[in-house]
Parts: sequence; C-alpha cells; structure tokens
Amino acid sequence: MSRLILEQVTVSLVRRPRLLFAPLTLTVEPGVVLSVLGVSGAGKSSLLAHLAGALPPALEARGRVRMDGEVLDGQPPEQRRLGILFQDDLLFPHLSVGGNLSFGSRLRGTRGARREAIAHSLESIGLAGFEARDPATLSGGQRARVALLRVLLSEPRALLMDEPFGQLDAVTRAQTRERVFDEVRRRGLPTLLVTHDREDVTAAGGPSLVLESCLEG
Amino acid sequence: MKPVALALVFAFAGIPVLAGVGVTLVEAANPVAWKALLQYPGIGRTVAVSAWTGCVATIVALGLAHLTVGLAAAAARAERLRTLILPLIALPHLALAIGLVLVLSPSGLILRLLSPWATGFHLPPDWQTVQDPWGLSLILGLIVKETPFLVLMLLGARAQFPVDRLMLQSRSLGYGPMKAWWVSVAPLLQRRIRLPLTAVFVFAVTNVEMAIPLGPAMPPPLGVVVWQWFTASRLELRAQAFAGSVLLLVVALGALAAAWGGTCLARLVLRAYAESGHRELRAERPFRVLALLVGVPFTFAISAMAALALRAVSAMWRFPALVGDHLELRLVAQLAPSLKMALGSTVTLACSTAIAAIALVTLINESLIDDVRWRTRIGVLLFAPLLLPQLAFLFGLQSLLVRLGLDGTWVAVGWEHTLFELPYVWGLLAAARKQLDSRLILTARTLGAGGLRSWRAVTLPLLLRPTLLAGAVAFGVSAALYLPTLFAGGGRVMTVATEATSAASSGNLRLAAAYGAAQAFAPLIALLFATLIGRAAFSGRQGVPR
Repeated sequence: MSRLILEQVTVSLVRRPRLLFAPLTLTVEPGVVLSVLGVSGAGKSSLLAHLAGALPPALEARGRVRMDGEVLDGQPPEQRRLGILFQDDLLFPHLSVGGNLSFGSRLRGTRGARREAIAHSLESIGLAGFEARDPATLSGGQRARVALLRVLLSEPRALLMDEPFGQLDAVTRAQTRERVFDEVRRRGLPTLLVTHDREDVTAAGGPSLVLESCLEG
Repeated sequence: MKPVALALVFAFAGIPVLAGVGVTLVEAANPVAWKALLQYPGIGRTVAVSAWTGCVATIVALGLAHLTVGLAAAAARAERLRTLILPLIALPHLALAIGLVLVLSPSGLILRLLSPWATGFHLPPDWQTVQDPWGLSLILGLIVKETPFLVLMLLGARAQFPVDRLMLQSRSLGYGPMKAWWVSVAPLLQRRIRLPLTAVFVFAVTNVEMAIPLGPAMPPPLGVVVWQWFTASRLELRAQAFAGSVLLLVVALGALAAAWGGTCLARLVLRAYAESGHRELRAERPFRVLALLVGVPFTFAISAMAALALRAVSAMWRFPALVGDHLELRLVAQLAPSLKMALGSTVTLACSTAIAAIALVTLINESLIDDVRWRTRIGVLLFAPLLLPQLAFLFGLQSLLVRLGLDGTWVAVGWEHTLFELPYVWGLLAAARKQLDSRLILTARTLGAGGLRSWRAVTLPLLLRPTLLAGAVAFGVSAALYLPTLFAGGGRVMTVATEATSAASSGNLRLAAAYGAAQAFAPLIALLFATLIGRAAFSGRQGVPR
C-alpha cells in the first residue's frame, strides 16, 4: 500500500500564466479520505483531471505527483492505476452490467474464471444475477454500486472522486457513502474526494482542505 | 497526429477547391469571352430567372421549415419528424425533378387524377405547367427538395437550446404558439443554420440538375446556359463558359448580399414585434391554416416518387389513365445491361467514397477533439464545396485533372464525390462525437485501457449509429451527384445520375424515369439498411445514443 503524494502541484491556463489555485503540497495516507472543498471555478475538477492524467490542452500543470517513489507525471491515464468516480456513474451504455465489470476487471485467467469472479462480486453488492442487465434499467443506487465495483475490480492504487454522491437521493446517498468509505479503508486506498457537501466530509472522517481560487481577487 | 490530420484535410479538401476556383478565374480573364457572354441573347433575363427562382424558393423553404419545426415543437413531435424527413433528404434532386415533371405536366399525375370526370379532358391540354417562363415549377421543385433539409438543420440546432422551456415560458406570458416560436426560438435557431442555409441558397440560384427538367427553356437559368457551353463540343465556347461561371459566382454573391440585407431587416421587424407586447391570440387562428402548407413538400415528394415508379413500368401511359395499359418491365429489361452497369458503378462509387469520407472525418474528429477553434475552421473548409456554385470550380478542377492525366479515372471521380460528402459526414459525426461524454472515455482509460483500446471499446460502438447514418447520407449524396461525375469522369464514368440527366435533357421522359427511379430508390435502401443495422446492434440497451 502506497501513499499519494502531491508536491507543489498547481494548474494554470496556458494562455495566461495565472494559477487557478495556490500550489498544493500534501500526502494522502493509505485508507484515508482527504476532502477537497472550494467554490465552483476554484479548479477542483481540473486538479482531479491533472491527477488522472487527462488535463485539457488549454490548461497546464506544475509540480510533482507521486505514488510513494513513482513519479506519475507524464504517464497516460491507463498506466497510473488511479481509479476515478464521477457524479454520474458513467457506466458504458452499450455494455451489459457484466460487460462493464469485465471491462474493468484486471483478473487474468480463463473466460469461465473471469465470469465466475464477476458473478461473485455482483453477489457481494447485492446484485446477484444482474450480469445481462442493461445498465439503463438499474436504479440510481444500483448503478452507483456497479460503478464502484467496476473501479475496484480494476485494482487501483488510489481513488479520485468528483462529487460521486451528488446525483443520489438522501437515503441512497448515505448508504452508498458508507459502502464506498468502507471499501477505501478495507483496501487501504489513499483517496481524494472533491465535494460541496459538508456531510461527505464528516462521513469521510479524514482531513479536509479548501481550495482557494486565485483567478478572482 | 494533429498536424497529419490537418495536412490531410488541406490536401484532400482545401487544395482542389482553391485550385478549381483559381483556374476558373484565370481562364475567365479573357475580354473576348466576356464580350460574347454579355452579347448572348437574353443574358439579362437568364440572370434574372436564376436570382428570382433561387430567392423565392429559399425564402419559402425557410419559412415552411420554421413552420414545420415550430408546429412539431408545439406538439412535441420533433423526434418523429426526424424519422419522417430522412427519406426525403435522401431523394436526389434530379430524380425528384423528373418525378415532378411527371406529376405537374399537362399529361401528368394531377390532371390524370382529375380527368375526365372533373375537367372533361380526354387529351392533355396545351398548358405550360412545367418549364413555365416564370420558373414557378422550378421554384416548387426547389422548395420540395430544400424544405426537408432545412427542417433537419433546424432540428439539429434545436437540440442545443432548451426549446420546450422557452416555448412554455413565452406561452405562460400569454403569447400564442406562433408568436412564441417566431420571437423566442426562431432567432436562436436561425443563427445556428447560417452555413447550411447559405449552401441551400447558392444551390437554388446556381443549380443545373433541377433546372434542366423543371426550369424555363427560353431562356434557361444561367446555370443551365453555362452547363450547355461547358458540355458543347465547340472549343471556342470554353472561355465563354468560364466567364459564365464567374458571372454565376457574382450572381450568387449578389443574392447572398441581398439575403444578408433581408436578414437584418427581418431582425429589426422581429424585435419590434417582440417588444410591442401584443398578444393577438385571435389573430393567430387564421395562421393555423398555414399548418396545412407543411404537408405540401411532403405530398409532392411522395407523389413524385410514385410517378417515377409508375412511369418506369408503364409500357403505354395513355392519358388520362392513371396506370399504363399494361405494366411491364420490358423497358427495364431492355435497359437491363446499361442500367445494371450504371447502377453498379453508382453503388461502387457511393460505398467506397462513403467509407473514405467516414475514415477521414473520424481521423479529424479524434485528433482535434479538444481544439474548438480548429474544429470550427475545418467545418467551414469542408463546407466550401457547398458554399460555392459547383460550376465555379468543378470545370477549373477538371482542366487541372486533364493536365495531371487524372481526368476520367475512378480516383478523380471518387475524390470529388468524397469532397461533396465530407460536409454532411462532418456535420453528423462531429456533432455526435462532441455530444459523447468525454468522461466515459477517461473512465475507460483509468480502468486500464490504452488509447486505441478505449477508442475501440467505447467511442466506436457509441458512435456506430450516427456513423451508419452518416454513411447512408453520404451514399445518397454520391448517388445524386451529377456535375462532379460528369466533369471528373470526362464523360467516361456512367452513373444513374449522368444517364438520367442525358435522358431528361434529350426529352426521353420514360428513360429518365427508369434511371430516376433507380437513383431515388438506391439511397432509400441504404438508409433502410443503416437504420435496421443500427437498431439491431445494441437492441437491448436503452442508454446508447441514437
């Protein structure tokens, strides 16, 4: 289990050399959820995009991102092994539930073995027998669970979350939140959570920081 | 990847158009030719007919298109409308024009339906209902063809605005659906369809395909005159034809300037109308009758198709019988070898060029996905062949092809076909690609799929339906192309479009109907296949974009 380390990380517009937010230096320990708050436009989503390795060309980043000793900067998203969860579940609409999971799964082995592992994991989130279902026919909470499972099956080294509970109703939100944070702790994943919701921060139980916009004022 | 894509676009789409216009301008710089052109009998009337028919047809088509989309929006029928008009858009200009001749002429479908019980005619009357000197039948043909296209463009623009909420907002402020549409929605959409509208306008003013069967004959519109000079075997007419193409370009630009003035005026009028605060609910009632007009283009298009099919299989089509004495496929059978050959080359050309256009657009799409400015520029560049009169660069391009020894080759014809398909394919695929949530692809990559694999596993399948549709539309465009086939093919490449035109211009309507029917039905079959395959793939997945 490694730590996610940011050193003097900041993002700026390519055309105007002004920083979106002041340089960040922090370490996220395994199993800890660090909450990032801030007004809209403060660069929260740009920070996550940079960490994932998908900063839009209009933006550029400085500083260093590491997993323990391994420098991530310059690596494409598929090599970083940082899982990402967005506000929308972003299940692939053209694949079945099982297809989505098997796309994410890193398990090697025969097709039968992979299929069995997926059936098993679906059982663990209370969706046994859902392999052939169309994701569009699932409820919001079910979709959120499948999306989480898909990320976990890809065996990430850390998790990035962009308001992952924003679309859910109050009851489902509480349940999903609990499930996600349990998994984070159980697997010892360093996690960065971008959110507006104070309840998220409380439930996460970890440290929090407020991203201040540098663009205005 | 980006420089490669840009270079490819310029080499493929930019250079031919620029070179074609350049050669035309150089060749037209010839005082003798201009003198001959300006002394051509009836040149003034020729120019006037072109401008008049193009302007009236475009204005009416635009008004009808707004009316159609507005009424569909008020009735929440926009999606169904889209399915309904796609077949009409696939209908080639030439086939439609030939079909309309068979509907409108004194011995045509309309009078047959009314005779002899209502009119008392046992012989076709001596009326001039097509090729009339005012160009009314040409105007009707252009309206029937361009209204569905503008409707499709408006529907596309509609998706970018919260049209339903805007309408509801205006109506809850006490305005009727008519005023709500014209004042709160139409101006927004109008801005978004400027480019396609310009293309429609330029085509209406300068086209040849519809003007040959439907346009006035003495004198014909300018486009037809220039086409006659280009295709005449007398070499001294060449320079005059180039001068004529430049004149055509000038007429098109003049008409566009007038249209720009008209738009400014319309904006002022609409603003005053909006700010007046009048809520003439009662006055809107008679306007509802206009809703009936919406059906006009559709009715004519469908009857033209029916007439084409009827004429192609009727041995003797004696007036006033609706159906020929005996239906037979004899002519079709006689034609079979040449029809088969023309159809074969049409389908081969259409399929291969549609694939080329899709491949090129996909490459640009993927390599410029984040570059909004270049995407806009490329959109305009790819649109250029539709914004210019075809005659203003195609013949120039041909004389270039002759010098390169490429004229009359399949490569040259295929290239020009692809050139004309690109704007449509780009329009459909670029929009679909932009609507695709980029986070889906990022998700695939964070799950460990590399660039190529995430494209293959996520982007490609989610774009399958729009890609198939774009392919069918490209197929239809290719099957409809006449001038590019004629010029680049040097008369040696025969498609249903070239055969139908030569039959129509020599007055052999039955032969023209047979080729026209082939030209009309081939794109429909392509569209049907595209729709069925698109539906069958992902049939159980509701979330896949249409």
